[in-house]
Amino acid sequence: MDRALYQSRIRNFSIIAHVDHGKSTLADRLIETTHTVESRNMKAQLLDMLELERERGITIKLVPVRMTYTANDGESYILNLIDTPGHVDFNYEVSRSLAACEGAVLVVDAAQGVEAQTVANAYLAVEQNLDLIPVFNKIDLPSAQPERIAREIEDVIGLDASNAVLASAKDGTGIDEVLERIVTDIRPPSGDPNAPLSALIFDSVYDNYKGVISYVRVVDGEIKPHKEISFMATGDIHEIEEVGVFTPAMQPVESLGPGEVGYIVAGIKSLKDAGVGDTITDARNPAPAPLPGYRRVKPVVFCGYYPIEREEINALRDALEKLQINDSAITFEPESSAALGFGFRCGFLGLLHMEIAKERLYREFGVELVATAPNVIYQVKLTDGSVIEAHRPSDFPSDPTRQEEVLEPFIRVTLFLPDGYVGSCIQLCQEKRGTYASMDYITPERVRLTYDLPLAEFILDFHDRLKSTTRGYASLDYEHTGYRVSDLVKVDILIQEEPVDAFSFICHRDSAYHRGHAVTTKLKELIPRQLFEVPIQAAIGKKVIVRVNVKALRKDVLAKCYGGDITRKRKLLEKQKEGKKRMKQVGRVAIPQEAFMAFMDVSGEDG
Amino acid sequence: MRYHRRHSWPLWMYREKMDKVTSLYLHVPFCESKCPYCAFSSAEKSGRDEEVYLDSIALEMALRAPDAGTLDTLYIGGGTPSVLSRDAWRAVIELLEKFFTLSSSAEVTVEANPSSLKHEHLELWRNWRVNRLSLGVQSFDDARLAFLGRIHSSHQAVKAVELSLSSGFSVSLDLMFGLPSNTPGIHEELREWAGTLRSAIELRPHHISVYQLTIEPDTPFDRLYSDSPLMSDGYVPYRYAQWFLPRLGYEQYEVASFALPGHESRHNLNYWSDDGYIGIGPSAWGCVNEVRYKNTPRLVDYAAILASGGDPITSTERLEGERVARQAAVLALRTRSGINWEKFQARYGKIFAKAIKNDLKFIPNDLISSDGFNTRLTKKGLRLGNAVWASII
Repeated sequence: MDRALYQSRIRNFSIIAHVDHGKSTLADRLIETTHTVESRNMKAQLLDMLELERERGITIKLVPVRMTYTANDGESYILNLIDTPGHVDFNYEVSRSLAACEGAVLVVDAAQGVEAQTVANAYLAVEQNLDLIPVFNKIDLPSAQPERIAREIEDVIGLDASNAVLASAKDGTGIDEVLERIVTDIRPPSGDPNAPLSALIFDSVYDNYKGVISYVRVVDGEIKPHKEISFMATGDIHEIEEVGVFTPAMQPVESLGPGEVGYIVAGIKSLKDAGVGDTITDARNPAPAPLPGYRRVKPVVFCGYYPIEREEINALRDALEKLQINDSAITFEPESSAALGFGFRCGFLGLLHMEIAKERLYREFGVELVATAPNVIYQVKLTDGSVIEAHRPSDFPSDPTRQEEVLEPFIRVTLFLPDGYVGSCIQLCQEKRGTYASMDYITPERVRLTYDLPLAEFILDFHDRLKSTTRGYASLDYEHTGYRVSDLVKVDILIQEEPVDAFSFICHRDSAYHRGHAVTTKLKELIPRQLFEVPIQAAIGKKVIVRVNVKALRKDVLAKCYGGDITRKRKLLEKQKEGKKRMKQVGRVAIPQEAFMAFMDVSGEDG
Repeated sequence: MRYHRRHSWPLWMYREKMDKVTSLYLHVPFCESKCPYCAFSSAEKSGRDEEVYLDSIALEMALRAPDAGTLDTLYIGGGTPSVLSRDAWRAVIELLEKFFTLSSSAEVTVEANPSSLKHEHLELWRNWRVNRLSLGVQSFDDARLAFLGRIHSSHQAVKAVELSLSSGFSVSLDLMFGLPSNTPGIHEELREWAGTLRSAIELRPHHISVYQLTIEPDTPFDRLYSDSPLMSDGYVPYRYAQWFLPRLGYEQYEVASFALPGHESRHNLNYWSDDGYIGIGPSAWGCVNEVRYKNTPRLVDYAAILASGGDPITSTERLEGERVARQAAVLALRTRSGINWEKFQARYGKIFAKAIKNDLKFIPNDLISSDGFNTRLTKKGLRLGNAVWASII
């Protein structure tokens, strides 16, 4: 087929939706309807592929699927579905997937209506100048209200939803119409097959046999085996070994032309050398400029990752390196903790991102780790005029009088909720040191509430608290709004007069007593009685604000020990000694690992 | 049985008494009724059990006798040795006489329960070499005795102690504290325990052992009271015993043992000084030439193995040098004399002695005392023995 004709039959699209609005079900239906994967094999085949790929050590993420669809005009079209993650933490991944598309299907739950991420994702698509097809899903539900939803989309987002597809991914209603609209409403990719090659890397994974596999979207030119390509950001040159498409399993093809989505293998040994967002071009005939890069996102939430077994520090570093290239938003640098030994301070886009990274490190690299409580970066202005970027409590000056003022990152949180929960949500935001910004009624029953909140309070337990406050009926989105001055203090925890860095925390002066009390009380529960009384104090600088005591052990003896007891008693003592060895010795006090673990729980001690 | 001495281990040659074992423990695996807290191997005897038992221990004695020297201590425990019939006792004595030699000053102890102690037993024992009785009194409070499933009354207990004393034995009482209470409160627990101790010393026994009720796995009490909030930590009664008994002349010479001067249990001291002992009977433990062994627990298996010419040992353990030394240090610290460093060093070597001394430096000094020759636990240290031992084991 003629290249230009072929190109006009390609449609590259994403599906964007708020969580639980039916994105995955719709995707499955499209795959099934286009017979990309036979329906009876569908689950099994897709799962098999995951298993296989897992075994081979590569990561499943943003798997693109190439579908063939015969439209009403009788022509056959190639539909490339590029998956996007649905969580607010991963807006950057959404944007990099969207950059590879010309259009997007915006799925909205016909009963629930517009939610916080519906707005955020729709705007990301608008920002990328994508053609948008609104789809009202779950139209089969008795509570579906397509007219109301259409009005909401027009009012809240500003999109015309009058021609939205009414669909039910569950019973198959409207699926054909969605496919047809993808063909008619989304423009074919532009791009010149004769121009110098430029292709966007929108994801990279590592395969034990093939090395780095980069997922690419060709914009101009053609990419095929034996071609020498260069990465425009790094200048590295590699020879293409294999190109292919996703069916969804990887299938080699002769070449990829403009508008096509596929993968390349080019003997790249390290994921570092195939940075996501980089542009690939012809090494001999390079494009004049790289494609617009992604909005580079900076991590905002930080925590320490420490291997459970201290010897595994190198394995953790390797795993983080691999993960980082696969998930370019992660940052890490070595750090050490008196309590946990050597580890890494890692930066993430949000709490979910942090948890997923931890889970992936375990699942994909077999690294078990403990994560310290998440925190943000503070800016500490000192009395001498200098400014410290404080990543952790220990970066704060030990003498609080040297501290002129402290700035902390703020976010603007947008909440969508039924009006019955407005009161309790406002209360929650106030409690979290929030500042009211605005409130408006989208419909008589639904409210959009915006608040400015310190990020540190948000990452502590805001999600969980919001969920329980609104029984899960609220949705949220947020954006970063920069640093502001706050009356923050560093609270040290002293055990037997010795400060233990792992337990220090930063909080607002007004809640220092409350949180100091919570931490010391928790520690009192977790530190076993010792042979002497152990004071646990919370202090700001030299000023002690809370003190509790772990009483001394008063009796611990096995009453009798005769001939038949000697071996058993020795084993018990050896076990006891082994247990104590695993504890961290701070001065004369043995602190069990659980005590440190308790403060690494992301829900925090108030949770 | 052959014990292989480890000639490669250079320390053994320093040991003072290596060759022949001078302590013997004989286990009698029968009880009148099984107490709900007890994890010892025992059962109510039935049918030909006594006969089978006697035939079997005869075979085991023949097996072990070559390891024995002149016995300095002999301890017949159980179970409840006093449930053996008079004839059975005659047979036991005959066997012991046949296979072993007792020194002229040997300490010979028999365990007995107030409910099964009979005049005829006392007479028989007295006329042989038995000079010490250990009576399982547990409590002088009838409600407590019933709770523990003991089949004697406090009155019977008093009678049994009086009878034993008047028969001229050195008498030891076992008393138990830390019982679960439905009326929690230190006052009540202390009042009852003080009453039991007072009743005990009014009888002027020579020796008192105080035990905390421990919940052993797979006992009826395990199902009832493990993790129960009704269980006492035992601190109050134990501390009271430490205060009360020495005032009346009973010195605490070991964690659980109080005695009038000269009435310390030599047999038990032998355990705590890490010296060897021969164990005979089903489930008995022994320790010969650094090898600790345990006999198979059930009488039927024990009898069958011996009858077929086998050795009833089910498991053995031989520790390497440092662990032997550390175990010995823990055992020594149970006792009032503690660790004598000169002897300890001679027996286990300088290096291990130094390592243990070093570990002991981290123990707060109100728990251990040292006079340069010996290191021992203080009264407070004895209450916290576990924590101290765990740091040197």
